Amino acid sequence: MKRVISSILCGIMVTGLLAGCGNSAGTTKSTQTGSQKESSTKSESASATESKAGTTTSGKMQTVTIWHDGDESIMNTIETQVNTDLKAKNVEVKFEKKSGLTDQLKLYGNDEANGPDMYFYAHDSLGSFAEMNILAPVTDFISTKDETDMIPMTTEACTYKEKQYMLPVYYETLLFVYNKDLWQGDIPASTDDLLSYMKAHTDEKAGTYALVNQHSTAYNVAPVINGFGGYIIDKNANPGLNTKETKEAITYNQKFAALEGAGDYDTCNTLFNGKKAQAIIGGPWLMSGIKQAGINYGIKSLADFKLPNGNALKPYSGVQGVGVLKYAEKSKKEAITEVLKDLCNEKVGIALAKESNCAPANQKAYSNADVSSNEMIMAMKETTKSAVPMPNIPQTSVMWTPAEALLAAVNKSGEDVNKAADDYQKQAKQAIADMQ
Amino acid sequence: MNWKRKYQPWKHTIPAFILIGAIIIFPIVYTLYISFTNMNLYHWDNYGFVGFRNYIRALFKVDSGFIEAIGTTFLWTFLNMVLQIVIAFFIALGLNAPKLKLARVYKTLLMFPWAMPAYVSILLWKVGIYNTDFGLANKLLSWFGISKIDYLSKNVPAFLSCMVLNLWMALPFMIMMFDGALQSIDQSYYESAKMDGAGFWVKTLKITVPSVKNIMMPAVLMTTFTTFKQFDIIYLLTQQKGALTGATLQTIITYVHQKAFVSNNYGLSSAVSIVVFVLIILISLFLNKGLKEEAL
Repeated sequence: MKRVISSILCGIMVTGLLAGCGNSAGTTKSTQTGSQKESSTKSESASATESKAGTTTSGKMQTVTIWHDGDESIMNTIETQVNTDLKAKNVEVKFEKKSGLTDQLKLYGNDEANGPDMYFYAHDSLGSFAEMNILAPVTDFISTKDETDMIPMTTEACTYKEKQYMLPVYYETLLFVYNKDLWQGDIPASTDDLLSYMKAHTDEKAGTYALVNQHSTAYNVAPVINGFGGYIIDKNANPGLNTKETKEAITYNQKFAALEGAGDYDTCNTLFNGKKAQAIIGGPWLMSGIKQAGINYGIKSLADFKLPNGNALKPYSGVQGVGVLKYAEKSKKEAITEVLKDLCNEKVGIALAKESNCAPANQKAYSNADVSSNEMIMAMKETTKSAVPMPNIPQTSVMWTPAEALLAAVNKSGEDVNKAADDYQKQAKQAIADMQ
Repeated sequence: MNWKRKYQPWKHTIPAFILIGAIIIFPIVYTLYISFTNMNLYHWDNYGFVGFRNYIRALFKVDSGFIEAIGTTFLWTFLNMVLQIVIAFFIALGLNAPKLKLARVYKTLLMFPWAMPAYVSILLWKVGIYNTDFGLANKLLSWFGISKIDYLSKNVPAFLSCMVLNLWMALPFMIMMFDGALQSIDQSYYESAKMDGAGFWVKTLKITVPSVKNIMMPAVLMTTFTTFKQFDIIYLLTQQKGALTGATLQTIITYVHQKAFVSNNYGLSSAVSIVVFVLIILISLFLNKGLKEEAL
C-alpha cells in the first residue's frame, strides 16, 4: 500500500514539475483552421476564448494581446478607447501586465504560442528587441501618412537603424515640481540662481531642503550633461563619460548634489511629500503621490532653466508606445493594422491626457481644451523643445551602471571627477565589448 | 531474487534522481552547453558553437578587481562566521540558563529576522536604519549631537553595515542550532564538574564546546557557504540599480554579476558562472577535507 501511495505521490510531483513546460489546451494553436494565438494567460474571458477560432474575415471578434509593464490605469484608458473605436470592426485589444517585460520578451519574443501580439513599453529597449529580430516594423502595417500628426521627436525615438519599430502613444520628461506654499518668490530662470536659492534655503541639519533630485541617477543628471554638450552614449555606441563636457557637467551637478540630501528615489519623494523639500525634479509618475499628500504644487519645464553656458537644461524624453511581434504579422496583420491606425488618431491621446495626465504624441490632441489647460502636459510639451530622446541602441542598457557608479563616486564618495570618469569610461567600454 | 535485490535500490531512488536531475543537474548542464555558444543579443536565435572562446574571455576577467573581490569575500566570510558562532553560542547559552523565565518567548522572538523574507529585511534596513535622512542610526547620532553619517557611501562603513545586517539575519539559525545542541548535553557532566569545583569558563571550555562541536559542524559548514556566496545583502544595500550608494564593495558573486550578467551575453555569462561554480566546488572539497582530517 505504501509503495502505491509513494508511487502516486512521486508521479504527481513529477507531473506538477513538468506541467509548466507544456502548453495548456487554451493556448494550443490550431493550424488547420487558421486560429489565432492567444496569450499565455489561462484566464481568458469568454470572448477571448471565442476569438481563438475566429478571424476578422469570418466576422468574429479578434483579440490582439498587448503586454505591458506600466500603470494599469493608463492601459485601461487605452484599452477602453481602442475597443470602443474598433467595436464595429470586430477587433479588440487586451492588455496584460508582465513585470520585467524586457526579460519576458526575451523568453517569449519568438514563441508564438505563448507570447503576445504586441507590446507597450518605453522606447529605450527598442534597439535590443530589434537586434533580437523579434519585431516587425510598424511601417509594415501603417504608412507615414497615418503618422503625420505625431510630434517628430516621438517618431524619431521609435526609429532604430532607419526603421520605425514602435508607434509612439505618449511621452514623458522630467519636470520641476514645487510646493507653492513653501517656495519663496519666483522660480529662478537660471540654474546659477537656483543654486543660490538652494544655498539660502537648505538646512541639512534640520532636514529641510530647497530642492531634492536623484543627483546620482543618470536619467536625472542627463539634463545637465546634455545641456553642457556632453553625453552618456552617442548614436554610434561610444560612451562619453570622460569627455570634457560630461566632466564639466558632473562637476557642476556636484554643487547641487551637496544640497540635495541622499538623493535616492524614496528619500526624495518622502522629503517632498512630507513638505520637507520645497521642490523636486521628477516625472509625471510622481504626481499621484504628490496629489495624495495634498501638496499645493506648481510645475515648471526644465527647458525654462538656463545653464551658465546659455543652453537650456536638456532632459531625456522617454516615449511610450506599441511595437508588433514579428510572428503576429503573419497571423493578425489586419487586426493589428486597425489597432495601430486607431492609436494614430488623437482620441487616445486626449483620453490619456484627461485620465492620466499623459502628454500625447499626437500634436492634434493639444487643440483640445482639456489638454491645453493641463499645466503638467503643457510643461512637458514645452520641454520637447530642448529634450533629447533617450538613446535606443542596445548598448544603452549597459551604460546606466557605469554612468551611475561614476555619479555616485563623485557625489557620494567624494572621488576626483577626472580619475573616476576615466575609470568608469573604461568599464563602460568593456561592458559594451562584452555584449558581443 | 538476485535480480530483484540488485535493482531494488534503483527502483526506489529513480524518482529522486529524476527530480534532482530536472532541478539541479539540467540547469548546470544547460549552462555548460550555453557557455560554448555565442548566444547573445546579436545571435538570439542563430547562435552557434564557439569552442572555448567564452572561457578564454572569462579567465581574462580574473583581473585585479577579481582578486580584490576574492579577498573581500574571504574576509567577509571569516568575520561573519566568527562573530556568528561566538554571538550565537553565548545567546544560546543564555537561553538555556536554568533559571531563565519565558525562554520560549525569547526563542520565538529571536526567530523573527530569520522568518522574514530577505528582500524585505534588507530594504527595511536600508530605509529604516541606514538612510541618511530618516534612518534610525542617524536619528540616534543626532540625539547625541553627532552629525549624520552616510553609512553606505564608502567601502569600510558599507562593509560593516552589510555585516551587521547579515548577522541580524543569520544569527537566529545559528542560535537555534546551538540551542538544540546544548539541550543534547547530558547534565550529569555539569553536576560532576560542579562537584570538582569547576567554574563557568571551565565548564564551557571543557564540557560545552567539545560536546556541541561535532553537532554544529554541518550547520557551520552550510552557513559558511551561504555567507561565502552572499549576494543580496551587498547588492541591495549598495548596488541596486538606480540607487547606487558610492561604495564599490565587491564579493566574488557581485563582481561576477556586475561584469558578466548586465551584458545580455549569455554565452559569456554562462562561462563565468561555470568558472565560479568550479571555484566554489574546489573550495568546498578543500573545506570538507579539512573537516574530515580534524574529525580523525
